Amino acid sequence: MELTRRQALAGAGGMAMGGLLPGLALGQTSPGAPQRGGTLTVQLTSEQRVLNPAIQASTGVYVMASKIVEPLVDLDAAGEPTGVLAERWESAADGLTHTFFLRRGVTWHDGKPFTAKDVQFSAMECWKKILNYGTTLYQFLDAVETPDDHTAVFKFSRPMPQGLLLRALPDLGHVIPAHVYAGTDIRASPANTAPIGTGPFKFAEYQRGQYLMAERNPNYWRGGGLPYLDRIVWRFIADRAAAAAAVESGQVQFSPYSGLSLSDIARLSKDARFTVGTKGNEGNTAHTVTEFNLRRKELSDVRVRRAIAHALDLDFFIENFLYGYAKVGTGAIPSSSAAFYVPRPAPYPFDRVKAEALLDEAGYRRPSRNGQRFAQPLKLLPAPWGEYTLNFATFIQQSLREIGIRVEIEARDAPGFLTGVYRAHEFDLTTGWHQYRNDPAVSTTVWFRTGSPVGAPWTNQYGYANPAMDAVIDAAATELDAAKRKALYQDFVRLAIEDLPVHTAVEHAFISVYSKRLMGSHNTPRWASSSWHDAWLAPA
Amino acid sequence: MKAVRAYLRSPAGIIGAVLLVAVIAAALSADWLFPRDPMALAGRPLQWPGANPRLPLGTDNLGRDIAGFIFHGARVSLLIGLVASVVAVGIGVLVGAVAGFYGGWVDDLLMRITEAFQTVPNFILLLVLVAVFGSELEVITIAIGLVGWTAPCRLVRAEFLSLRSREFVLAARGLGMRDAQLILGEVLPNALPPVIVYASVTMAIAILLESALAFLGLSDPNVASWGNMIGAGRSVLRTEWYVSAIPGAAILTTVLAFSLVGQGLNDALNPRMQVL
Repeated sequence: MELTRRQALAGAGGMAMGGLLPGLALGQTSPGAPQRGGTLTVQLTSEQRVLNPAIQASTGVYVMASKIVEPLVDLDAAGEPTGVLAERWESAADGLTHTFFLRRGVTWHDGKPFTAKDVQFSAMECWKKILNYGTTLYQFLDAVETPDDHTAVFKFSRPMPQGLLLRALPDLGHVIPAHVYAGTDIRASPANTAPIGTGPFKFAEYQRGQYLMAERNPNYWRGGGLPYLDRIVWRFIADRAAAAAAVESGQVQFSPYSGLSLSDIARLSKDARFTVGTKGNEGNTAHTVTEFNLRRKELSDVRVRRAIAHALDLDFFIENFLYGYAKVGTGAIPSSSAAFYVPRPAPYPFDRVKAEALLDEAGYRRPSRNGQRFAQPLKLLPAPWGEYTLNFATFIQQSLREIGIRVEIEARDAPGFLTGVYRAHEFDLTTGWHQYRNDPAVSTTVWFRTGSPVGAPWTNQYGYANPAMDAVIDAAATELDAAKRKALYQDFVRLAIEDLPVHTAVEHAFISVYSKRLMGSHNTPRWASSSWHDAWLAPA
Repeated sequence: MKAVRAYLRSPAGIIGAVLLVAVIAAALSADWLFPRDPMALAGRPLQWPGANPRLPLGTDNLGRDIAGFIFHGARVSLLIGLVASVVAVGIGVLVGAVAGFYGGWVDDLLMRITEAFQTVPNFILLLVLVAVFGSELEVITIAIGLVGWTAPCRLVRAEFLSLRSREFVLAARGLGMRDAQLILGEVLPNALPPVIVYASVTMAIAILLESALAFLGLSDPNVASWGNMIGAGRSVLRTEWYVSAIPGAAILTTVLAFSLVGQGLNDALNPRMQVL
């Protein structure tokens, strides 16, 4: 009985679809046409226990919650902003006013209509006050006016470049329902783990430590039979060997964000059943970096920091430790950023002789032929984010030994690492990931500017302060002329290389591993963090 | 001398002793055979054993010479085993002796504390200690000793309970010996044989516990311990299994050696097994 009703519904969906898109309905038998139905199972290495992207900006949140809660704007296949909850936008010439014309006929999963009041509430109460990175980006957002239910006018007290705002919104622009959150403690709201949104999938069930499940939203505003999938299940599998087994056995169809070990990724890339690659992750480029704590006397000398950078044979590291899934970093803005990247050579090529000469020049000579240059070893805290950062820590230890600097690695779990580095500052070196999100002002310049409160993770907590750096960052964030902005960011990159508070050593895109059955996927630059409304599963 | 002869009559004991001597020889010859720092980059990572004559057992996924790592790792493992056993047996003997000798409320109190420790699984307690006090080698070694003291404690207490009212103890007491003299001079030497046997097992357990910690990435990453290499090799287990298997075999050999030595000692020290 149940089955026949489902079949009947599927048939009705097919007919409705046929009316709009005749090619699709006829294409049920051809392999290239989208098919309705099916459950997509996704493997995640960890869970963040927050499903509200309006208060926590992190790929770990987007990979789940952005199917349920949608942003105003996302990026299209070419990496250009495309409207989601906003249909179109216009900006005043002075950059102080940005008007968003919102999509009509959109309803929340609980049936209430989506209006400009929701945008106003999300922007003023969440993005500006709570959201990490948002508190910096929206600090000069004075008000969001709502002349009618379908228009939201963003008023800034300092110029906001339209390009920056539009490239920030896919990450820092998710809209949550005001009627659910208003008047409550937003951080403690139960809706943060059972979200209500406008997206193609509705929250169904969340079992901590096990899985999250979302069901198809039949009233999705895009219509046309979208979304194609019936259900998405995210399974939390921390052990990478078990995750690889789940992918191979077909229990999981998609492992995003380099969730498998690199050796398994290399192995599965030769398996015809899977697609392995970085396509669809261009908008989530990361640098594997070394942060230097400038409070340590030896490291406060830029010559020592440069010597350490010169001591690392990054080509060897990438080829042999990272299976070639990366390239040498050339500066704080990665080469994947079409709008802001200017090609330049690797700033600190491997040169052990030069490294030793720099250390001698700084006054840290070897007391004997194999002696230590520093009285105390350097304490290195590796970020526990997986192979890139852990292997890089060992590689730094091995490389610095050759130039007479002893490094002691102190392994910590994630909370211990974040507290130790960003609050207690009890480190000399760290390895970590810095993610670039489409525009340097979104989440890159905070690594170099002063003024981040102590304890704010993934910010400048290494005691680096250069007024010239702060000035160029501030000028670029409010510069409306695109060409001038790009030029300012070249100054920023040059200064970051020169001062070297952070060595952006290795640039890599995240690697997706997915079944060839998963179609309509990886077609935008931040696909894993997008809504998946057009993804579908081919029959097994 | 009689004990040595008794020991040599046990085939298990002989095999164990040979293996143990081999492990100790590896530890002692490490600097001479592999003068290079075992943690250093020795060559391209993931070279199979035998592929490069300079690196007979190949390299792990961090480019370290596996052969050198195994030899230097023998030192770390033996050191951890020895120190952790001394800590565990030391505490165990002290608490067990006092509890067993005095009995009464002292025994009750000490045994309730012991039980409190016994109810928490060893490894969970170890994880907590490492999380709180950090993962330097010294801390880990002492922590392993701390989680393992309850078994020798129970053993010593039981021996003391049966020995304290024997005639020779009563005679010594009648001679006016003080409690400390009685415990150390009379009862303890007679209670020691099972403790010595158990200490060899403790060493094996200590080595295994450190390996388990390292497997989870919670041991001291700055020392060349076998567990560290197994943990590092875990991510390449499906393709380059030898990175985990070779240190695994080293641990197996060492643990087996200690267990067999323990069995040999048991045979030698057990009065019922002695051939008159």
